[in-house]
Amino acid sequence: MILLAATSGTPVAWLVARAAGLVAFGVLTLSVTLGLALSTKLLGNRRGKLVLGWHQTLMWTGLGMVVLHIAGLLLDPVLRFGFVAVLVPGTAPWRPIPVAAGIVTLWLMLALASSFHVRRQIGQRRWRLLHYASSLAFALGLYHAINVGSDLTGNRGLIFAGIVLAPVLWLAYARILMPRQKPRKTPARPAPVATQPPLADVGDVGTSVTA
Amino acid sequence: MRTIWATVLATWALFAVLAVLAWTRPQPATTQQAVPQAVVVKGKNGKSSIVVVKASASSSHATTRTSPVAAG
Repeated sequence: MILLAATSGTPVAWLVARAAGLVAFGVLTLSVTLGLALSTKLLGNRRGKLVLGWHQTLMWTGLGMVVLHIAGLLLDPVLRFGFVAVLVPGTAPWRPIPVAAGIVTLWLMLALASSFHVRRQIGQRRWRLLHYASSLAFALGLYHAINVGSDLTGNRGLIFAGIVLAPVLWLAYARILMPRQKPRKTPARPAPVATQPPLADVGDVGTSVTA
Repeated sequence: MRTIWATVLATWALFAVLAVLAWTRPQPATTQQAVPQAVVVKGKNGKSSIVVVKASASSSHATTRTSPVAAG
């Protein structure tokens, strides 16, 4: 089918690049939504492990779609993007700033997806700090999609932004407002039995000193 | 298993979007039908006359070579 389309003059690489870009952003949105749902514990603690698994898997799936998006751009005979232009921010010959936003999103996604596997090595605190970059990746991805994507111009872009932003913003708002879970307190140990002398004796000592 | 499911679903989504994009792709403009044109030509004696130019069926392209101007 693809071969048939290629021989009939259909710009297959260009269509694949556009479709993969849209699917990549959809999958990234889903992953971010699941991550926020996980941190707000809206889905309950019981489903946490399952949601975490899907959150990670979708991040890698989104990256796979981004790779396909880049491959489509490299193979397109009209655009003529080079390897450097699609991997180094600011080097693209066409709309360098929105394209750079997309490239930064790619690198951030790669760092975030890899961070799941080195979580123990880098520590929970650093992992959490790095995870805050996911909101930046999402914002840059949306900016890239609306400003570069030829399918999201005008009202279509606004509708798309509204659809993808609504769940993410709602969950982020819930996450900010939700009180943080306090660390579990260990049950207080019973106080050791006092071996102090009775008060009357203390008083006696005092009086003996002052006297 | 989860990875396989995610890959399958993403691939289906890709094909679905691809089909929509290919379906809604603007088709290249069809070649314009040849329409005869009327041109006002001034003769040697200064008399203007209307000449109907029969349009040819072949597509119009800019020529790369112009005819030499007749001397005199």
